[in-house]
Amino acid sequence: LTSARKVRANRANARASTGPQTTRGRARAARNALRHALSLPVGSIPALSEEVEALAREIAGPGANAETRDLARRVAEAQIDLRRVRHARHQFLSDTLSKEYYSYTKMRMKLKILRALLRPNPPDISTEALKFATSNPSLEGPDKLATILLEEAKELLAMDRYERRALSRRKFAIRAFDAATTGVNVTRTW
Amino acid sequence: MLPKARPRSRMPALPGHAAAGHNVVCGADSFLSSDLVAHMSTNSKGTEIAAAGVSGQAQRLSLFGPRLLLEGEDGAAYDELVGRICAAVRPADVIDEIFIADIVALEWEILRWRRLKLSLIRTRALQALQDFLHRTLDYDLYSGHFAERLTEILQDNVPEDRPEDFAQTLAHACARNESDAVDQVIEILGGIDRDMDAILDGARAHKAEELVQQYVRHEPDVVTLVNQLLANAGESIDDLMADTLRNSSLLDYVERLDRLATIAESRRNASLREIDRRRAVLGQTLRRSVQEIEDDADGVLELPAAEGGNAA
Repeated sequence: LTSARKVRANRANARASTGPQTTRGRARAARNALRHALSLPVGSIPALSEEVEALAREIAGPGANAETRDLARRVAEAQIDLRRVRHARHQFLSDTLSKEYYSYTKMRMKLKILRALLRPNPPDISTEALKFATSNPSLEGPDKLATILLEEAKELLAMDRYERRALSRRKFAIRAFDAATTGVNVTRTW
Repeated sequence: MLPKARPRSRMPALPGHAAAGHNVVCGADSFLSSDLVAHMSTNSKGTEIAAAGVSGQAQRLSLFGPRLLLEGEDGAAYDELVGRICAAVRPADVIDEIFIADIVALEWEILRWRRLKLSLIRTRALQALQDFLHRTLDYDLYSGHFAERLTEILQDNVPEDRPEDFAQTLAHACARNESDAVDQVIEILGGIDRDMDAILDGARAHKAEELVQQYVRHEPDVVTLVNQLLANAGESIDDLMADTLRNSSLLDYVERLDRLATIAESRRNASLREIDRRRAVLGQTLRRSVQEIEDDADGVLELPAAEGGNAA
C-alpha cells in the first residue's frame, strides 16, 4: 500500500509539473501530436477558407445563382485541399532530403555490426560487412531519395490517401458543377 | 482523346463562367481576377511567383499550387513543360486550368520517378562494372598507376642522401618486377608499416574507376577493351545489368518507383479524361444551343401559306 507521505509527495509533484504555463508554451504543447493536420477540413483553417471563397467566386463567374456558387465552393474546397496535401508531401520529402544523415535502417545495421565488434570476443565478420559498417553514413543523390521513398513509404502512403480522397471529391464536385451549369448530366463513369 | 486546338475566339464559355473572349488562359492576360491573384499570391507561401523568367502560363498555373520542385530540379524545364501542355490542351476556363496544373505536376512527377529509376540502375550497373574490372584487370593495365602511387609513397620515405629521382626509378623498377628493386621496396614499406599488396589493390581500383569513367564517355578504345575483358570472362554488359537488377535492395527501389510512377500516370490520365468529358459536355451544350437558335429562326422565317396555292 502506498504510504500517505508518498501520496502527498506524488500529488505535490504532479501539481508542480502540469505542463507548460505560458500561453506560448501551451500553444506549442497543443501541437505536440500534430503531424501534418491533413485530416482537418479546409473550412476550419481561416487562411484557406479565404482562398476557397476567392477561387469559388472565379469558378462560379459573375452573376451566378446561389446553387452555382455553392457547387463552385465545393470544387474550390477540394482543389485547395488537394494543393495542401501535395504541398505537405513535397515539404516532407524536401525536409527529409535536406537531412545530412538519413536512413535509420542502415544506421541501425551499422551500429549492430560495430557493437558486435566491440564485444570481448568479437565474431568473425566478412570484409563486406566491415566495409559497410565503416562506410560514410551519409547518402547522396538518387540513393538518398530512393531510400527515403522506401523507408518512409508508410508516411507517404498516408498522405497519398488524403490526395486520393481530395481528387475524388474534386472530380465529383466538378461534375456536379458542370451538370448544374450546362444542364447536361454526366452519367458515364470513366 | 483531346480535341484539336481551336482558335480561342471560337471557344465558347461554359455557362456560369466568364465569356469566351475573356477566358484567355494561355495568352498574356488571365481570366483570373486581379484580387484573386493578389490574394492567392500573398496568402500561400508556395505560390509566390518569381518575378523574372517565369512564363505567363507557369505564373498563372502556380495559382493552383506552387511548382513542387525537389532540390536540384530545373525550374526552367518545368516552365517549358507547362508551356507545352498549355499549348496542347488550350484550357477553356478555370476548371480546365486546374486540370492542366494537375497534369503538369503529375507529368513532372512521372518524369522524376523514371529518371530516378534509370539513374539508380545506371549507377549500380557502373558500380558492378567497376567491381568486375577491379577483379579481372591484368597487371599490365594498371602497372603505370602502381608505379605512380609507389613513387608518391617512396618519395617521402627514402634516405635523404639518395638522388632526387631515386624514388621514381626504384618504383618503376619495382613495377617492372625487378627482384632487387622489389626487395628494396618491401624493406622500405616494412619500415613504414605499409603493404605492397594494399598499394597494388589501390592502383587496380583506381584504374578500374578510370576505365569506367572512360567507358561512360564512350571512348572507343576503352569500350573495346571492356567488351574484350567481359568476353574473356564469358560475360557481357547485359549480364552485369541483370546481376545488378537481381540485387534485392535495387529491386525494392525499382518496385517502389514503378508504383509511384503508375499512381501518377493514372491520376494524370484521369485529369485528361475529365478534360475530354468537359469538352464533350461543351459540345453537347453547343449543339443544343445551335438547335434552339435554329428552331427560333425557323419560327421567325416561317412564311404564311399562300392562299390556294404553293407558298414556294
